[in-house]
Amino acid sequence: MGKKGQKQKIILPPELPPETSDNEIEVSDEDLQFVDENRDYAGFVSRLDTQSITKHVTRVADVKEDALEALYEKRLKKKQLQKEQEDNKLEVDPVDALPVKTLDGQLLYRTATKTSRPSEEGETGDDDKEATADQSVVKLTKAERRAKLKKSKKEAKKQGTELAKTEVEQTPQAAVLDEVKKDITAEEAFEDKKRKIAELGIAVLSDPESNIKSLKDFLQICKDNDHAIVKLGLLSLLAVFKDIIPGYRIRLPTEKELQMKVSKDVQKMRYYESTLLSSYKAYLQRLAALEKQSSFQHVAIRCICTLLDAAPHFNFWESLLGVVVRNISSSDDVVRRLCCSTIKSIFTNEGKHGGEATLEAVRLIADHVKAHNCQLHPDTIEVFLHLSFAEDLGRSKKTDEKNKVKNKRNKKRKNVEEPSKLPENDRKRSKRELMSKMRGEVEADYKSVAFTPDVIEQRRMQSETLSAVFETYFRVLKHTVQPVAASSEANAGASGSHPLLAPCLRGLGKFSHLIDLDFMGDLINHLRMLAAGGSNSENTSGKSLTVSERLQCCIVAFKVMKSNLDALNVDLQDFFVQLYNIILEYMPGRDQGEVLAEALKIMLCEDRQHDMQKAAAFVKRLATFSLCFGSAESMAALVTLKHLLQKNVKCRNLLENDAGGGSVSGSIAKFQPYASDPNLSGALASVLWELNLLSKHYHGNISTVASSISSMNIAHNQVFLSNVSPIQAFKDMSLEQQSLSPPNDLKQSNGKRKRGSVPFRAEHSLDTSSVDKDSLRKKLSSHFMLLRDIKENQRLRSELDHATSSLQLYEEYKQQMGKDKRDKPEKRARLNGLSK
Amino acid sequence: MRPLDEIETTAVFEKIFKFTGNNLKNIVENPSHEGPDANAGRYCFRLNKTKVYYVSESLVKRATNIARSNLVSLGTCIGKFTHAGNFHLTVQCLSLLASNAKHKVWLKPTSEMSFLYGNHVLKGGLGRITENIVPGDGVIVFSMSDVPLGFGIAAKSTQDCRKMDPNGIVVLHQADIGEYLRMEDEL
Repeated sequence: MGKKGQKQKIILPPELPPETSDNEIEVSDEDLQFVDENRDYAGFVSRLDTQSITKHVTRVADVKEDALEALYEKRLKKKQLQKEQEDNKLEVDPVDALPVKTLDGQLLYRTATKTSRPSEEGETGDDDKEATADQSVVKLTKAERRAKLKKSKKEAKKQGTELAKTEVEQTPQAAVLDEVKKDITAEEAFEDKKRKIAELGIAVLSDPESNIKSLKDFLQICKDNDHAIVKLGLLSLLAVFKDIIPGYRIRLPTEKELQMKVSKDVQKMRYYESTLLSSYKAYLQRLAALEKQSSFQHVAIRCICTLLDAAPHFNFWESLLGVVVRNISSSDDVVRRLCCSTIKSIFTNEGKHGGEATLEAVRLIADHVKAHNCQLHPDTIEVFLHLSFAEDLGRSKKTDEKNKVKNKRNKKRKNVEEPSKLPENDRKRSKRELMSKMRGEVEADYKSVAFTPDVIEQRRMQSETLSAVFETYFRVLKHTVQPVAASSEANAGASGSHPLLAPCLRGLGKFSHLIDLDFMGDLINHLRMLAAGGSNSENTSGKSLTVSERLQCCIVAFKVMKSNLDALNVDLQDFFVQLYNIILEYMPGRDQGEVLAEALKIMLCEDRQHDMQKAAAFVKRLATFSLCFGSAESMAALVTLKHLLQKNVKCRNLLENDAGGGSVSGSIAKFQPYASDPNLSGALASVLWELNLLSKHYHGNISTVASSISSMNIAHNQVFLSNVSPIQAFKDMSLEQQSLSPPNDLKQSNGKRKRGSVPFRAEHSLDTSSVDKDSLRKKLSSHFMLLRDIKENQRLRSELDHATSSLQLYEEYKQQMGKDKRDKPEKRARLNGLSK
Repeated sequence: MRPLDEIETTAVFEKIFKFTGNNLKNIVENPSHEGPDANAGRYCFRLNKTKVYYVSESLVKRATNIARSNLVSLGTCIGKFTHAGNFHLTVQCLSLLASNAKHKVWLKPTSEMSFLYGNHVLKGGLGRITENIVPGDGVIVFSMSDVPLGFGIAAKSTQDCRKMDPNGIVVLHQADIGEYLRMEDEL
């Protein structure tokens, strides 16, 4: 206010002191006395024209009545603007926290250049008032900063109302207008541009055909200097395009068609399409250019992903896809997640693009993996899990071949027949040819227009996709098997030196039924090498696979084998050996129990026939295993054990106390617990003494299962098969452990229970749980009483020791003292004697 | 009775290696608890006339007391040398091979009898087959209840087996337990 006063030539009266209320003013007694004495002195005060003075002081003296209010409003607004400016400036973290003091004594806080994001929300809040076009913009940016957005919305609304006020004030005050103009900061221009974007958006959306030119203006805005405006422009353009893009690919008219005379509608349509296409192209180019710059990367990627998601059929989708795939393994989490979700949606919504995009995406990803030599983030390949293929893809080849054979035979037959029909009219032949031609043309036209995908075409695309997918998987497998020489140290990221292995194995398991027989042998070979624990002899630390990974290899191998059972029932010897050894290496904290349970289920429970020696070896090892680990793993092992014993009758002699195996022991007379090959373990000669220990397990379920296994030979109900799989048992037990509920009784009653009869089991558990609770309580209480007594005893004993030791010391001390006393006169006598 | 010399040992081990692979060391280093010795002795190979026997050392010691002309057999006979000097495994070593087998084939019940009569194993008779069989490998033939029936040489790899028609030969017959009845005199 002072500055402006200096610009005017009139010397202004000084500013009023700050107002204080009457209550705060304390009048001292001396002052009262003085005033009373000198009434004339201060008499002038009562005669002052306070009104005019205040008018002058607040500098509204010259202003007329009706403009008075406007001036006050303007001042208020100015103040608020200034405050807002400061607020905005302060919103941003000051680069230098230290302020600078000018010569005037003013403290200046240096502010950094605005980061565009806070202001972005400020502006998107303003747009919220406008049409739906901008609502999508708000949605896009809202995702990350909701709280700030609310605050900035309020501010923006205030700003908006002030804007309206400025407009109102412009007409009456010319002088005030100058001042206002000087106050226009970048923020005003900002607001203007925002509004322009909103207007353009609304215009295009409401009537795209006539307002298509405004897209060009939009693009102009995107070339602005201000980052925030550019981002806003990009995002709003995105929303506009999403709504405008038609459901078909735009094909620009050829030269010939341009020359033809067409109606106005068609011309309008052509103009619309060409403008749309050209502006779309320019937009994409801008996006591509901006994607390289790190400040715009998030926005650009988001635009590209949304466009691809919404319109994968439209022109230029290949370039979009290229960008997305390039970023699919970027180290930035947000970008990666966006790209992965886009590709997943492409895979799942095949109807939008008719399969082409899937094929292209898969091919690009395969090339990407190849280029980076399999050192990528696992998400890259995880997207493949969302692919879906027609189930009969593998079989279709056979039917095609059959058809081909049939056709060949038919053709042969026709060829034989035709020579007999040689003397035919030319006219008839030409007629036939014409008809077939026309039919062909009609079919082609129909195909091009029809929306339903051509089955053969689809199949071809799917088989190509499948081959690309498997190419990637095999490349990853090969890479894992090879010794990774120097690069292993350079790769500090992701999960070890084989980050892609886990999703690759999962994918192989999912698509195992589609693998061609030719590749099976090679695949099984590689899996065997992997299961054996990594690469060749250069197995330094960090290169060998974890237990879970090896188990996954075994599981995948079995899945692959199982899906091709119609060819031949192959016994995977080596994988059984691996599983046998891996069971020993399992550690509950480090490795995943679910994977182990799944491996047990697939390899042991679902397999049809087993070598007796091998089955017995697994039975024995599983029993040992269940002794060592927690309830969950024990339960899984015991369930598998029960399964094996029920299926292989010969193994039941393990339950008999017949050391040496008797006559059924097979060729190996003694049990070798450390044998690495289950066939050579001689387990048929051992005894399952672990079951006796397990029947006294602290967990009720395990003890019941163990005792039921022990009595398997005697029990009458030998016919039924247990219907709990190891995986389920593992899950149940681990969940129970977590919830710390009292152990439910899982006793399985006779036979005819169907799978999934959970309510029955629950009822059963309700009956017995009360009993268990009491006995459990008693047992626990006695146990803890015992523990407490033991501790008490220990403590008392230690005190006793302490006391006795101190007593002993005292005794000794006393003795010493007595000795000295006795010794001393003797000593003195001796000395005297000597001296004498 | 005499121990085998170099050439003969290599011949015997080669043949056994075809069937057992690396488990050969289990056969050679098998501890034997026969005899009054507290320490476990070993098994060894001895040649008597043209037959090779797999005997425990304690038994060998005692058998040296019997004259060569009077000694008919000792331990387990695993095979014999032909006039030309080649070694053939006979069916009597089946139990030894079966426990240390690398490659196994299980026969369906319907084709067991055919194999026991001396015929080759056809693909249609295969119940199960171990993975990773190479043509020329030694294969032990089992029944579905894991009773060793005999042994032979693989004609095709496991991969090729999948694509074969059901009448193709998978395993070439070499010896089976039916020979105990059919060729009693020659054993």
